[in-house]
Amino acid sequence: MNDLHAVLWIARKDLLQEARSKAVTVATVFFSAVTLGVLAFAFGENPLLMREGAMGALWVALAFAGVISAAQSWQADLEDGALEALLAWPVPRAAVYLGKLLANWGLMTVLGFVLLPLAGGLYGADVGGGGEVPAALVVAVLLATIAAGTLGFALIAVFYAGLTANLRARESLLPVLMFPVVVPILLAAVRASNALVGSGDLDLAWAWLRLLVGFDLVYAVVCLALFRFVVEA
Amino acid sequence: MIDAAARLRRPLWLRTYLGITLLLFLAAAAFGLVFSPRDVTQGDLIRIMYAHVSVAWIAFVAVGLTAVFGALYLWRGQRRDDVLAVASGEMGLFFAGLTIIGGMTYSRPTLNTFWTWDAKLTLTAIMVALMVGYFIVRGLIDDPVRRGRVSAVVAIVAAASLPFNYLAAEWFRTLHPAKSVALDGSGVTMDGTMLAVLLFNTVVAGMIYLGFMIDRVRLGRVEAALEEERAQAVTQPAPVGKEVVRV
Repeated sequence: MNDLHAVLWIARKDLLQEARSKAVTVATVFFSAVTLGVLAFAFGENPLLMREGAMGALWVALAFAGVISAAQSWQADLEDGALEALLAWPVPRAAVYLGKLLANWGLMTVLGFVLLPLAGGLYGADVGGGGEVPAALVVAVLLATIAAGTLGFALIAVFYAGLTANLRARESLLPVLMFPVVVPILLAAVRASNALVGSGDLDLAWAWLRLLVGFDLVYAVVCLALFRFVVEA
Repeated sequence: MIDAAARLRRPLWLRTYLGITLLLFLAAAAFGLVFSPRDVTQGDLIRIMYAHVSVAWIAFVAVGLTAVFGALYLWRGQRRDDVLAVASGEMGLFFAGLTIIGGMTYSRPTLNTFWTWDAKLTLTAIMVALMVGYFIVRGLIDDPVRRGRVSAVVAIVAAASLPFNYLAAEWFRTLHPAKSVALDGSGVTMDGTMLAVLLFNTVVAGMIYLGFMIDRVRLGRVEAALEEERAQAVTQPAPVGKEVVRV
C-alpha cells in the first residue's frame, strides 16, 4: 500500500466513523446555526449592519464549528488505544495528518455550503452579489472561497487538535493556540466573501482569494513538515 | 545533590556586564530625554519613540530566536536548545508586552487613540497571544522531551504565521506612522542625531535582552538539572554521598 492509499483510507475511516456516529454533524450543524442566531441578536435591528456582517458571522460560525470537528476527530481515536494503533501503522505520520485533514476539510466545506444560504437568508444579504456580474459566477467564486478558507482553517485546526489531544484542558487550549495562527486565513476569507456579497466585486475577491490560497500552501508545508514531532505513540 | 544557590550566584563577568548595561541604559535614556532634538511635528513626544521602537525591534528578534532555538532542539534534541528557547520566549513575551504598553503611551497623545486595528498593533497583539499559548502548552506537559518538542513546534508555527498576519493586516487602512528606516536600504527619513539615538537605544535594549537571556539560561540549566535529578530519584534508590548532575 502506498502512502496516498493510506491517506485515503484514513480519510475514509474518519468519514465512515462520522457517518455512523454523526457526532460531529449533529454538534457542528446545530452549534453553527445557533451561533448565527446569537450573532444576529448581537447585531440588533439595523438591517445594514446585518447585511454587512453576514459573511463575518458565517466565518465565525464556521470557525467555531471547525474547532469542534477537528477536536472530535482526534478525540474519537483516543478510545481503546485506537490512536496508538493508527500511529503504529508503517506509513509516515504526515499520512495520518493528511487523512484526517481530508475528512475534516470535507465536513467543513459541506457545512460552509449549507450555512451560506442560511446566513444570507437570516441576515438579508444577497449571496448572488446583486451587481452586474452574473449571480452564478459570484456564487461559484463564493463557494471556492469557502473551500479555500476551510482548507486553511482545517490545516491548522487538525494540526493543533493532534497536538492537544493528549493534554489536559484541551477543549479550552485548542482555540487559544490556533486562533492567533488562523487570523490571516479568516481575514482573507471574510474579505473575499464580503467583496462578493456586498457588491459582486470579482477583482477584489480574486485578489483576496489568491492570498488565501497562498496562506493555505505555506501552512500546508509547515504543518506537514512539523507533524511528526506533534504526535507521540 | 545540586547546590542550586551556588550555581545561581552570578560570576564577576556577568555582574560587570549587567552593571555596564545598566549604565548604558541610563545613558540611552538621557540621550533620548535630553540630547535628542525636538521633533518638528511631535515635539517632546518623539522621546517616547526611542524606548518604544527599540523595544519593539528586540521583541520580534526574541520571538524569532525562540523559533530558531526550537528548530535547533527538534534537529539536535539537546536540552540546552530548549533552555535557550524558553529563555528567549520569556523575553519575547516581556518585550512584546512592553511594546504594547509603550505604543499605547505613545499613540494616545500623538494619534489620539490608545488602540487601532493597524497592522503593526494587530501583529504585536497576536504575537503576545501566540507566546501566551506557547507557555500554556509548556505548563501542561510534564515530560521534558515531549514538552521541548511540542513547544518548539508551537514556536515555529507561531513565528511562521507572523509575516502572514502582518501581510493580511496591512491591507487595512493604517494609522501607524510609516517606517522611517527602510530595511531594504532604500533610505532613512530621519534626522541624523535622532537616528543615532534610536540605534543606541536599540543596542542597549539588545544588551538588556542578552543579559536577561544569560541569567535565564543559567536558571534554566539548574531547573533542568533538578528535574533530571528528581526523575532519577524516582526510578533509582537515593545516591550515597554527594553527586553532581550536570546538564
